[in-house]
Amino acid sequence: MHKRRKTLALAAAGTSALMALTACSGGGGGDGEGEKVVTWVINSLPAAWGSISAAGGSVYTVQMLSGVLPYTGQWQPDATYEYDLNVLAEEPTLINEDPEAGPFEFSFTLHEDAVWSDGTPMTGEDLRVTMMMSASPTEGYCTTCDSRGTTGPDMVEEVEVDGKTATFRLKEGLANPEWMAMFDAHSAGGGFYPAHLAEENGWDVDDPDQLGEYYTWLHETRPEWSGGPYQIVDGDLENQVVKEPNPEWWGETPKLDRVIMSYNTDEGTFVNAFQNGEIDGANPAQYSEDVITQIEGIGATLTVGEGNIWEHIDINTKNEFLSDVELRRAIFTAIDRDQIASRNFGAGYPDYELKNNHIFSSDSEYYEDHITDSGQGSGDIEAATEILEEAGYELDGDTLTLDGEQVGPFRLRSTDTVVRSNSLQLIQAQLAEIGIETTIEMTDDLGGMLGGTEYDIVQFGWSGTPYFTSSPQQFWHSESESNFGGLENDEVDEHAIAAGTAPSLDEAAEHANAAVAAVVPEAYSLPIMAEPNYFFVSDRLANVEDNLQSSYRATYNIGEWDIAE
Amino acid sequence: MLVYTVRRVLGAIPILLLASVLTFVLIDVSGDPLADLRMQQPPPDPSVIQLQEERLYLDRSMPERYWLWITGIGGNGDIGLLQGKFGPSTQSATYDIGENLFLRLGTTLRLVGAAMVFALGLAVLAGVVSAMRQYSKLDYTLTFIGFLALAMPVFWFAGIMQQAGVGFNELVGSQVFATIGDGTYQAQGQDLWGRITNAFAYMTLPTIVLMLTSFASWSRYQRTSMLEVLNSDYVRLARAKGLPNRVVIRRHALRTALIPLTTVAAVGIAGIIDGAILTERVFQWRGLGEFFIAAVEKNDSYALMAWLLLSGVLVILANLIADLLYGVLDPRIRYE
Repeated sequence: MHKRRKTLALAAAGTSALMALTACSGGGGGDGEGEKVVTWVINSLPAAWGSISAAGGSVYTVQMLSGVLPYTGQWQPDATYEYDLNVLAEEPTLINEDPEAGPFEFSFTLHEDAVWSDGTPMTGEDLRVTMMMSASPTEGYCTTCDSRGTTGPDMVEEVEVDGKTATFRLKEGLANPEWMAMFDAHSAGGGFYPAHLAEENGWDVDDPDQLGEYYTWLHETRPEWSGGPYQIVDGDLENQVVKEPNPEWWGETPKLDRVIMSYNTDEGTFVNAFQNGEIDGANPAQYSEDVITQIEGIGATLTVGEGNIWEHIDINTKNEFLSDVELRRAIFTAIDRDQIASRNFGAGYPDYELKNNHIFSSDSEYYEDHITDSGQGSGDIEAATEILEEAGYELDGDTLTLDGEQVGPFRLRSTDTVVRSNSLQLIQAQLAEIGIETTIEMTDDLGGMLGGTEYDIVQFGWSGTPYFTSSPQQFWHSESESNFGGLENDEVDEHAIAAGTAPSLDEAAEHANAAVAAVVPEAYSLPIMAEPNYFFVSDRLANVEDNLQSSYRATYNIGEWDIAE
Repeated sequence: MLVYTVRRVLGAIPILLLASVLTFVLIDVSGDPLADLRMQQPPPDPSVIQLQEERLYLDRSMPERYWLWITGIGGNGDIGLLQGKFGPSTQSATYDIGENLFLRLGTTLRLVGAAMVFALGLAVLAGVVSAMRQYSKLDYTLTFIGFLALAMPVFWFAGIMQQAGVGFNELVGSQVFATIGDGTYQAQGQDLWGRITNAFAYMTLPTIVLMLTSFASWSRYQRTSMLEVLNSDYVRLARAKGLPNRVVIRRHALRTALIPLTTVAAVGIAGIIDGAILTERVFQWRGLGEFFIAAVEKNDSYALMAWLLLSGVLVILANLIADLLYGVLDPRIRYE
């Protein structure tokens, strides 16, 4: 009896201690009374405070800077483009679109009220300096700038700044159909940076070495500046940043008192953390069926849609057997894309769509289906066998032969992810049905494997954005270093170059579609589908939605986020 | 003992050097640090890649790079172990490997320290109780718990603990336990009581997870060791002399039985730090585990080298401490 009383007393003391602790908030960040606080997950650690650099800048840096970094426009969730008329005084002007009549020329004029958080007005100089930091070192503006997107800035010959306006003239003969992207949310830096801080810190932006120092400073220093609705008031690159409203913001006042952007590298923790009220939502870069199936029903709104990484199967045209286009067509016809997509994503994303255009997604105004009618990816074994028979191939038992010699075996390769591993196993089985033997080999060095063309058939992903003009040239031009399988086709080359140098997006899209139409009969690259991305948000939040067109994802409209009534 | 210690430390230097050569070569051949950059879309300008190659010293041969990594001679001032520089990082041009490594070490030691203390305390208690009541229901229960703990995968147990924490929070209607983060930010500006409750909230679950495996194996060691001592002649003599059981256990048996565990635990520190990789990942602590994973993911060879070097130093230090402790606890051992 005495023992039991002691045990009960201990239990009571323990419970009291815990009840005392419950008065204190363990997670969630110690919100003040009545404050509107949101904790949003960034799915990886941003490696730097600046987003331009190839070594440090990433979509995670861009998301971390959401609401801080101003930009001139962006693609909306419905795939329409909108200029940010908080930042711009008016839509930018294309002054000359015909490079034969003179330099391709365009200008941006910033909003009259647009100021940085220290009260300094935004000017065309901010755009000029951002362009200079985004260009290649060989352009001579900056010795040590290592921009992750140099294509547009490298075309610029001259910039003229007049107060709030910056006018850009391209090099002779060049045109850029994506000129409006120079400082938008999809540009190298995801926006533009202040120029006046360089001078305040004693750097001359017209000196290439000193501009490099300013560039380094921007990447290693937590921004105390802001050109958006929020400003960073606390944080680091290891755990989180804390944002509060920018008092100098000239647009509509942000609704939240504080946004905590918490870095979380393990999706396996999302469900528990969400249920525990430690996070309010996330827009991870990877697909996770586990999270998708668990998060619904616990106070979250979940959406799944096509992400910007699309998977495809490529063939090495330099292989002894695979140089025969008929064999390639038979292989692509035997591959069942629907089975691959269904096995990988059917459970979490039953509404998946197969990708029928390498360049444009189905919600693009330029989309044309180039795959369905070709029969490629249909898994039609009869049709594939017919192609092979007409081309002189024969089945010897279960083995495909040509002139008595076995065709293959082929190295079927990819990186060792669940999705790709499933996919290769299915492809192996599908090709076995037409007598082709493959050996699956995984690699953790995708770049090395592709660069050295150490494969016969390979599955990997390209990243697609609404901007497309350079893609055909990169994927398929005979001299492109990314044309790993060695496609050589003059018609493709011609359209690929034309797409990148067309004066308008419409014209570029025509050439891009023509390039796709010329690639499909080559049976060189078979798109499967875009890997789905998911997003979830607590029902206590309002105005939060995913934007799969943008690197900012759900944070693209952070200034409008609110707590639901 | 000082001479012995100095001799051991000096003897560790060639071991570390040899290990560093091997790991440097293995890391170097394991992948291209610029693979991600080369695969970028649209592809970066060749001058950008060249800039990165120069920054990371990839334009030099492997032996040259190793020499640079050790000495820093001929580098840009960001490399050279002898100068306290661990080299440039692929993660960012502004990422300081040394600063991050030691910052992370502090975070890991906080977790590992707590786990060690609790694991040792519970292991001694469980081991002694099991030994004193050998083959009793309690002994069988503790043995079962020990083997269960040994068999449970850390990531799985961590998930279970998180769910248990969330369940408890829902039961009491407040966030007693946090499931992610180390609570550093949440502790800012809080008074002493606030910091204590904050530490309780953020440390409890990962500490339980991390201490589990060590507790399981150490309690088995302690049980075996205690049984040996309890059956020894001097303990029997002490009992025969009529000493109370409590005194026999505390003064005579336990002290001797702790010697093997002390040495095993000292060596086990390095193991716990390695084991913290998974625990830190699941609970999102920015310790050495996350440092290591990020370095692997980003092909950050100099960061990996720094982590491996630190691991090597910790293993050597732990072994040295174990040897020294052995001498302290057992007067029969002398160092020459």
